[in-house]
Amino acid sequence: MMPLVLRRLGMALPTLLGVTLVIWLLLSLLPGDPLAFLLPADATAVDRAKLATELGLDRPLPVRYVYWLFDVIRGEFGFSPFRHRDISELIQNAWKNTALLASFSAVFGLVTGITLGTLAGVYRGSAVDRFVTGFAIVGLSVPSFWVAILLLIVFSAQLRLLPAGGLSNWAEGPGHFFSHLAMPVLSGSMVSIAITARVTRASIAETFRAEFVDTLRAKGLREYQVLMHVAKNAVSPVLTTAGLQMGFLLGGSVLIETIFSWPGLGQLVFNAIAARDLRVVQATTVLIAVTFVLLNLFVDVLQMTFDPRQKRGV
Amino acid sequence: MAIAEPLAGNAAAAWLASDSPTRPESYMQAARRRFMHSRVGLVALAVLLLLVVVSVAAPLLTPYDPSIGQPAARLRPIGSPGHIFGTDEQGRDMLTRILYGGRMSLIAGLAPVLVATVIGTILGSLSGFVGKWVAMLIMRTMDMFYAFPAVLLAIAISASLGPGLINQIIALSIIYIAPIARVAEAATRRIVVAEFIEAAKLTGAPTWKILFTQVLANIFSPIFVYSSGLVGLAIVTAASLSFLGLGVRPPTPEWGFMLNALRGTIYVNPWVAALPGFFIFATSISFNMLADSIRDSLDVKE
Repeated sequence: MMPLVLRRLGMALPTLLGVTLVIWLLLSLLPGDPLAFLLPADATAVDRAKLATELGLDRPLPVRYVYWLFDVIRGEFGFSPFRHRDISELIQNAWKNTALLASFSAVFGLVTGITLGTLAGVYRGSAVDRFVTGFAIVGLSVPSFWVAILLLIVFSAQLRLLPAGGLSNWAEGPGHFFSHLAMPVLSGSMVSIAITARVTRASIAETFRAEFVDTLRAKGLREYQVLMHVAKNAVSPVLTTAGLQMGFLLGGSVLIETIFSWPGLGQLVFNAIAARDLRVVQATTVLIAVTFVLLNLFVDVLQMTFDPRQKRGV
Repeated sequence: MAIAEPLAGNAAAAWLASDSPTRPESYMQAARRRFMHSRVGLVALAVLLLLVVVSVAAPLLTPYDPSIGQPAARLRPIGSPGHIFGTDEQGRDMLTRILYGGRMSLIAGLAPVLVATVIGTILGSLSGFVGKWVAMLIMRTMDMFYAFPAVLLAIAISASLGPGLINQIIALSIIYIAPIARVAEAATRRIVVAEFIEAAKLTGAPTWKILFTQVLANIFSPIFVYSSGLVGLAIVTAASLSFLGLGVRPPTPEWGFMLNALRGTIYVNPWVAALPGFFIFATSISFNMLADSIRDSLDVKE
C-alpha cells in the first residue's frame, strides 16, 4: 500500500507546480502596474527603479517565478502595505479560522448528506425519497450567500436568537461557540449536503440492485445487516465527491466569511480585492489551492483503503 | 456527405423492411417529442422566457429609472403603493432594479458557458481526434485548472483583471473551459474508433472536414447536456463575483451586487433585502430543471 501512496504523492507534485504557476502568471502578467500602490505619489523614476530592483521585478520572468516559488515554500509572502503586516502573519491567523469553519461545514455537510441520501436510497420512491431529491436540486441551485442572508434575517434580525457574525473561542463556553458557528456552517454546507445526498442516493440505489444483495437476503440476514454491506460497497463515489466539495467550501468561504465577519482566509481575500492588494490575493489563493490539492490527495488515499480494487489500478 | 445519426440505424432498417409510407422519427424529432412531454422542463422554460422578456422589456414595464432614486422614499417595504417590491437604500424602485438587473445576471451567466463551450469543444475534440502530443499538451494543461476550487480561481482571475462585466465573463469562461474540454475529449475518443470515421478517412476526406462534420455531429449531445447543466451554476457563480464587487460597476443594477448592497438594511427592511437573492435562485433552479429535462430528452447517460 505504501509505495502506491508515494506514487500518488509523486503525481501531486506536478499539479502543485502547475497550480503555483497559474496563480503566479495570473497575478504577475496581467495588465496593471504592480508598483502603483506601493510608491508614494511624488515618487521619481529613480525611486521606481530602486523599488523594482528590490522586489526583483527587473529579473527575467522565469527567474522571477523560481524566486517567488522558493519564497512561497519558505512561507515568505512579502509585506502588505495596506495592513502594515507581514502577509505570512496575516495568513497564519486567518488559516486557522478558515480551517475551523471549513471542517465543521464539511463534517456537517457529509453527515447530513449521507443520512438523507441513505434514507432516500433505501426507501426509493417513497415520500422521503421525493423530499430528498427535491431538496437536493434546491440545494444545488440556491446561492449560499442568499441562504446566509435569509438566516441572518430570520435568526438574527427577527428572532434575535443568534449573533450576526464574528468568531468565538471554545473558552467562552460551548453555547457561545456553537451559536457563532451555526449560521455560517448551515449556509456554507448547503451545496455539500445536496451533492452528497444525491450521490449517496444514486450509489445506494445502484448497489441494492447488485446480485450479492439477493445472496445476503437468501442467507437470511436482517435488513439492517444487508444495509451495512451495501453501504460499504456504495461509499466510493461519495468519497470522490467529498474531495470536490472541499473546493466548494473553500471557494464559498470568501462569501460566507465576508457576510458573517468571520476573520478567515475568505474575508482576507475579500478585503484584499477591495484594496487591490494583489500580493495578499496571490498568497491566499496559493494557500487555498495547495490545501485543496492536498485534501484531494488525502481523499484518494482514503479511497484506496475503502476500495481495494483501486489499489491495483491507479 | 450524410451526417451519422445515433440510434437512427435500426429505425431506418425497420422502415426499409416495412412498406410504411411515413418516414421514421429522427433522433432530434424524438428528442423534441420527449421534451414536449416533460412538464418540469416546459415550466422551467416558460419561467426563463418570461424572465428574459420582462428584463428586455423593462423600460416599457416600469416608469422609474433603475439608477436614480428618491431619497425621501428610501427603504419602503414590499407592497408599498407605487413600489410593489419596495425601495432600496437609495430610494430606487426595487421592481425596476430587479427587472433591469436580470439583463446583467442572465448575460453574466449565459455568456461564459457559451464561450467556454466553443473553446472547450475545439480543444477537447482536437485532442481526442489527433491524440499523441497534442492531446498530452492540451489535456495536461486542462488538468491544472482542475486543481483549483473553481469559484476561487474565478475570484483570483477577476481580481487581477479588475471589476467589469467583460472581465467577469472572461474569468468565468476560463474556469468552465477545462470541464467542457474533458467531456468533449472523452466523447471524441469514443467516436473516433467508429467505422464511419474509418470510412471517411479511407475516402480521403481531410481531417478538418471529418472533425467538423462527422465528429462534431456525434459529440454534440453529451457536450450540450453538460453545458446546459453548467448554466445554473454559472448564474450563481456570476452573482457571487458581483456580490464581491467584481462584476458590473454601480449604479448599473445586478442581482448579486444588489444583495450585497442591501445587506446592511436587513434590520430595517428585511424582506426587500432578500428579493434579489430569490431571483438568482429562481433563475438558477429553472436552468437546472431545464437542463435535467434536456438530458432526459436527448437520452444521454451521465
